[in-house]
Amino acid sequence: MFQYRAGQIKTFFRQWQLQSMVIPGIIWMIIFCYIPMFWLIISFMDYSIAKPLLESPFVGLKHFQDFMTDDRFWRSIRNTLGMSIIKLVLGFPIPILFALLLNEIRNFRFKRTVQSISYLPHFIAWTIFGGIMLNWLGEGGVINQLMMALGLQEREILFISDAKYFWWITYFSDTLKEAGWSAIIYIAAISGIDPALYEAAELDGANRWQRMWHITIQCIRPTIAILFILAVSGMLGSNFEQIFMLENNMNIKMAESLDLYIYNMGLVSGRHSFSTAVLFARSIVALGLLFLANYASKKLTGDSIF
Amino acid sequence: MKRNLIKLGMTIVLAVILTLSMAACTNSENSENTPTSQPTDSTQQPQGESTPNPDEPAWQLDTSPVDLTWFVGANWYAHTWGESFTSKYITEKTGVNVKFEVPSGEANEHITLMMTSGKLPDLISMGSWETAVKKLWEGDHVYALNELAEQYDPYFFKVAGDGTLKWYRQENGNTYGVPNDSYSPNLMHETGMTAANQTFLLRKDLYEDMGRPDLSTPEGFLGALQLLKDKYSEYKGQPISPFLAQGNVPYGMTDYLQNLLAVPHEKDGKVYDRITDPDYITWLKTFRTAYERGLINVDFLVDSDTQVEEKTNNARYFMMIREWTGMTAVNPMLAASENPDSYYIAVDGPQNSNGDSAKLFPGNMDGWMVTMISKSTKNPERAIRFLTYLTSEEGQRDLFLGKEGETWEMTNGKPQLKTEMVELLETDIEKMEKQYGILDTYWMMRNPVIVNQWRPEKAPVIKQMEDFANGQADIDSGIYKGLDPLGDSDVAVTWSRISQNWEEVLPELITAKDDAAFDKVFENFLARRESYGFDKVMEYRQSELDMRKAKMAE
Repeated sequence: MFQYRAGQIKTFFRQWQLQSMVIPGIIWMIIFCYIPMFWLIISFMDYSIAKPLLESPFVGLKHFQDFMTDDRFWRSIRNTLGMSIIKLVLGFPIPILFALLLNEIRNFRFKRTVQSISYLPHFIAWTIFGGIMLNWLGEGGVINQLMMALGLQEREILFISDAKYFWWITYFSDTLKEAGWSAIIYIAAISGIDPALYEAAELDGANRWQRMWHITIQCIRPTIAILFILAVSGMLGSNFEQIFMLENNMNIKMAESLDLYIYNMGLVSGRHSFSTAVLFARSIVALGLLFLANYASKKLTGDSIF
Repeated sequence: MKRNLIKLGMTIVLAVILTLSMAACTNSENSENTPTSQPTDSTQQPQGESTPNPDEPAWQLDTSPVDLTWFVGANWYAHTWGESFTSKYITEKTGVNVKFEVPSGEANEHITLMMTSGKLPDLISMGSWETAVKKLWEGDHVYALNELAEQYDPYFFKVAGDGTLKWYRQENGNTYGVPNDSYSPNLMHETGMTAANQTFLLRKDLYEDMGRPDLSTPEGFLGALQLLKDKYSEYKGQPISPFLAQGNVPYGMTDYLQNLLAVPHEKDGKVYDRITDPDYITWLKTFRTAYERGLINVDFLVDSDTQVEEKTNNARYFMMIREWTGMTAVNPMLAASENPDSYYIAVDGPQNSNGDSAKLFPGNMDGWMVTMISKSTKNPERAIRFLTYLTSEEGQRDLFLGKEGETWEMTNGKPQLKTEMVELLETDIEKMEKQYGILDTYWMMRNPVIVNQWRPEKAPVIKQMEDFANGQADIDSGIYKGLDPLGDSDVAVTWSRISQNWEEVLPELITAKDDAAFDKVFENFLARRESYGFDKVMEYRQSELDMRKAKMAE
């Protein structure tokens, strides 16, 4: 047993360059992800920020029962799932398609330019990008002017204040901002494919579509599977910053997601225990989704995280 | 074997995490608890320093340099200490150098986070209505000012008005904060200055061009909007926004509009449910009609602060339910523009069916912000002395007027700002505040009773609004400010659910397709409110009001 451990330590030192890159990450995770978990305990207490933790009384599952009977909680579940499903079904394939199309471009400079432009919006913070969106969609905005010039509508529509557009606005603005960036990982995976495969396929008479289908997609399948599993497990955590920027009193019916609900209940209304309970429940469900997606992916494609 | 090893490793990691997190907790508790004993421990005072005299300010005893951090709970506060003339002068005089901290977002959230970390700035100024204020007091995060004053600077009791100290006294007999801009009803009756802020504003040129239409009745209001749409829909190539309500639902379209309609706060000693008032409903329906006819848009319900500011600066609003103090910079600018009549004037806005004039909200005992001394401070004695100095007439004069001979001089025994300064006030407020730091630059401790006597006459375009508000102020209504439950008690949770729901419901009311739909939405809201437990809120308001009346009678 000791020998085995000594061997491990030796390996550790031999790989010190690699290890020194991993260790800060692990320390970060312990400090910012694991230690804060201890505070989940306040979801079972009537915690008041003004008093020390141990003086707060235990109330068991009271807060969990409270949010289960709150219609606003259920509304926020519906909105979160609604937005996430749109994003998953219509949004998830877009970076893949984009990467595939980009891969077919032979002009190297053009390809690079398109790619660079596509991921630029990712570096703009949502506070700014959201502001741009509000301007485009608002009174006198580009979209209204365009629609009116084309005779598609008579009166200006404040898209952002009409709840029925909200899910679609989040979908389009998110795709606009992130699709290029998300494609990078697929582009990287594609560039790792052995060119010999294509050459062989070409000799066998495979056309472009066949090469794309039988080689490119097959080779990046594991990447797709892993990203899909992560996307499914993140379904309950919709993009907080985005919704926070675009939300207002007129569209909150369709806009309040679970994250925003937790924020509104916790920081705005000061119900820390209550919002921690919601957060706790959300994390458990998200964990369940992760296992579910992982299992499904393993069964269907053979690729999985664990 | 391998499996066992992994298990062992996992256990160790978990154990470490647990210990670490426990340690983290106990640490923060310790740091919260230790300073409590400080103020009662009189041996802490530096040796060789004479005991403070209750008739003399104690700041003169020690003018060695010291840094104090000062949290100003307003994210728009953009002034610094140490660059302006006044701040340098005060630092030289007292030895206190101030470092301002402002929240990046909401002050309440910011200070709440600071409370959890147990590390607070030395001085804290927060809106008196913010829930965090109560938490700071109850959680023993700030010093009781009376205790600190007794020990380090009894002169404090001389300068801090007895009325305000009493008003903020808690059940345990302690006072934790000093308010600024606090007005007692007696003072307002005496001076006629009511600090009323609320006005109904209209763009002067359009109003006069239209022949001064009557806006106090629903018919007149809708008529004026129709005229606006037909004849004046654009200004400088951009569409006119017919209407703005400041802070929209929680403020402009609710309390504020109710004040314009003179909806009472109580009837026969019972707290009145103002939202159900028939006049208020009539006017909400008027707004609905205006929306249905395309006379107003919903922009005022969704626009961000920047969008509102942009429209205001370009005089793109026709009318506004808005505090006149928000227009002090804009109005002179508009009056000096190529269209000098495009500034805003206060006129009679919506009125109730009896045609009563508005009952605008005046200044009140709560004041605006309260300033506290946190227990995290290393220099409680310097902090209380500095606070005493700022509260005293001398400090108020230094802060408001600057240094004698430089920015002001004595004429006929009365301090008077130099003419250059008065000119600067009219032409370039920004420069005046940045370079000289006088007048309202540092308002955190502003006492209106003292400083208003030194205030130069306001420009006519501002004075018109102020006089209008003073004339319609309901001086004795200050007692009704903030009757609603705050914090995280059950009744406060109920109230926050109701008020958040109201914020969603009001836009629905305005955009309802007809009056029947309006009634339905409103009835649903009342039923929902009932199911949340609205009667508890009413009970709370009543008991709060009874308590305040007793306090006032003291």
